[in-house]
Amino acid sequence: MKLKLKTVFVLYFMVSLMGLIYALMQLGQHCDCAEHDLPKDRAISRLQEELYRLQGQIRQLEKAKQPEKKQPPKSSLSTIFVITPTYARLVQKAELTRLSQTFLHVPQLHWILVEDSPRKTPLVSNFLMKCGLTYTHLNVPTAKERKLQEGDPSWLKPRGVEQRNEGLRWLREDRKTEPGDDGQQGVVYFADDDNTYSLQLFEEMRSTQRVSIWPVGLVGGMKFESPVVEGGKVVRFHTGWRPSRPFPMDMAGFAVSLRLVLANPDACFDGEAPMGFLESSLLKGLVTVDELEPKADNCTKVLVWHTRTEKPKMKREEALQVQGLGSDPAVEV
Amino acid sequence: MPKRRDILAIVLIVLPWTLLITVWHQSAIAPFLAIRKACHHLVKEIFIIPERLAVHHHRLSDEGGEGRREAGGQDSKEYCASDKDIVEVVRTEYVYTRPPPWSDVLPTIHIITPTYSRPVQKAELTRIANTFLHVPNLHWILIEDSQRRTPLVTSLLRETGLNYTHLNVETPKNFKVRGDTRDPRIPRGTMQRNLALRWLRETFKNNNSQPGIVYFADDDNSYSLELFEEMRSTRKVSVWPVAFVGGLRYESPKVNAAGKVYGWKTVFDPHRPFAIDMAGFAINLKLILAKPQAYFKLRGVKGGYQESSLLRELVTLNDLEPKAANCTKILVWHTRTEKPVLVNEGKKGFTDPNMEI
Repeated sequence: MKLKLKTVFVLYFMVSLMGLIYALMQLGQHCDCAEHDLPKDRAISRLQEELYRLQGQIRQLEKAKQPEKKQPPKSSLSTIFVITPTYARLVQKAELTRLSQTFLHVPQLHWILVEDSPRKTPLVSNFLMKCGLTYTHLNVPTAKERKLQEGDPSWLKPRGVEQRNEGLRWLREDRKTEPGDDGQQGVVYFADDDNTYSLQLFEEMRSTQRVSIWPVGLVGGMKFESPVVEGGKVVRFHTGWRPSRPFPMDMAGFAVSLRLVLANPDACFDGEAPMGFLESSLLKGLVTVDELEPKADNCTKVLVWHTRTEKPKMKREEALQVQGLGSDPAVEV
Repeated sequence: MPKRRDILAIVLIVLPWTLLITVWHQSAIAPFLAIRKACHHLVKEIFIIPERLAVHHHRLSDEGGEGRREAGGQDSKEYCASDKDIVEVVRTEYVYTRPPPWSDVLPTIHIITPTYSRPVQKAELTRIANTFLHVPNLHWILIEDSQRRTPLVTSLLRETGLNYTHLNVETPKNFKVRGDTRDPRIPRGTMQRNLALRWLRETFKNNNSQPGIVYFADDDNSYSLELFEEMRSTRKVSVWPVAFVGGLRYESPKVNAAGKVYGWKTVFDPHRPFAIDMAGFAINLKLILAKPQAYFKLRGVKGGYQESSLLRELVTLNDLEPKAANCTKILVWHTRTEKPVLVNEGKKGFTDPNMEI
């Protein structure tokens, strides 16, 4: 079939016209990218080069390590097991976020987070997945009669007892599967999710042989509570509230060596203990005052503060919810 | 023969156009997207370390399931496994009190934090420093509300290892909050923030090309690390939701389908020009330098209007860039720390006043 020249030309013009329009449309869209592209491009390629170089280094190191070890290399630092009870409330995610940001700086830390809930909540599960720490997620609900009600002052009933005990129980179970001396190396610390911890604290507690203690700031109605050390031993406790307790200190003021926890499988917190005696209920079964190891420069520095976070005011939110206009519950706070 | 000639003619005509279109497509669009993606990837891979490490540091909990999830919640990137190793190695170099290595590519985030002396000050600064130590290219401008720089803050800043600037200016007594009443007519920290803005303008007036972002961070709020990466791409002023402000679970800008801010989802005076909390926006340094008269208004500012007093001199509603997935995620919480009850100190002070808390 013979094609007419006219048809060919018409076709040609149609195609070229369409092409031109297409090109013009593309040109019109991303007009401001030209100048930025080049330096960005260079930056990207430089970063990529660095990436590949480091990758190459890693591969070399891996090859060198491979024949020696089959397991992941064990660090010479003893692991700090931090047991944190937590419960659902508005500020929970904020507290856990900033707590995890502190923990991320501490090497060889294993976070045992125990929820006060009959089921593991998605908020905490998702948070832990993304936080980047080595963790264990547990949960145990507090019995109704032991729980604080809305209007109760915070000191009325002991909090976090079942959760901390659950943490201890898990730890003991888990260590049974790792026999040998290495598995017994470690320190157990009870950290509440609203306190503030300095990074030096964790290095101080790593050398705990039995039970080590240090001052705690902003607790007991005072600027700080502290053991009084003379000759490297604790002789008494400096506290303004019930100093006659066997161990008048806050939960954040001591750490127990893992060995001691495993050697005393029945030692746990007693929920029935009178107010302020919670710490003593655990420690009296583990150690005497004489055996306590003072840290933080013979208990002269404050490395942990018993901060508390205000309950955020929700008056307007509550008013809106009554009208059915509350903020989107799908947005996780 | 005519057939072949015709076909040849058609091919010769169509071929250059198809070539042009395919080449244009690849060169114009792809690099632009690729740069965005690659940059994004690299930043997130190298610098947002905790997120990636979630893949490695999983412990099998009792209930199974959780342990073996491979980067479950992530928008998974197609990098090969060795990249994850790199991230791990880089992380173990970050022994505590050392911030991430300075990058020449990322814009610097200048964080302006006013602070004042009170019992929880050291605790607050310690934990916020622990947060900042994860953020690359961060410059902390800490301004004390005091006559002189206190030794507490000076030594704390030095020990953190962060890149910082330590300033101070005392708010005159008639401006200070009386007792602890939260009187909204006296905005706290205003003079300190203004001093920081002035310092920035004096320090960077010559070096106009250095990219930077300015963020006002109070020392008692809680910040997620993702927030800092979101604000790094600010061109003028970017905004996002803040939790626990305005008596609500969260306050947030209203964003329309075109990705523009058109209003404010708040109950407390939503008709303010910028009904947003101090922690809910970040400004590009260029804008701060370009408008040297823009400061927070000191006197006669109604409660909740402090942020507007600065922002209305810098930008209009239309220029705001919504972040945090079009303002649907909470990345910053306006937490407040309780004032500690110091009843047992008594009149003379029970504890050793020399011990720093």
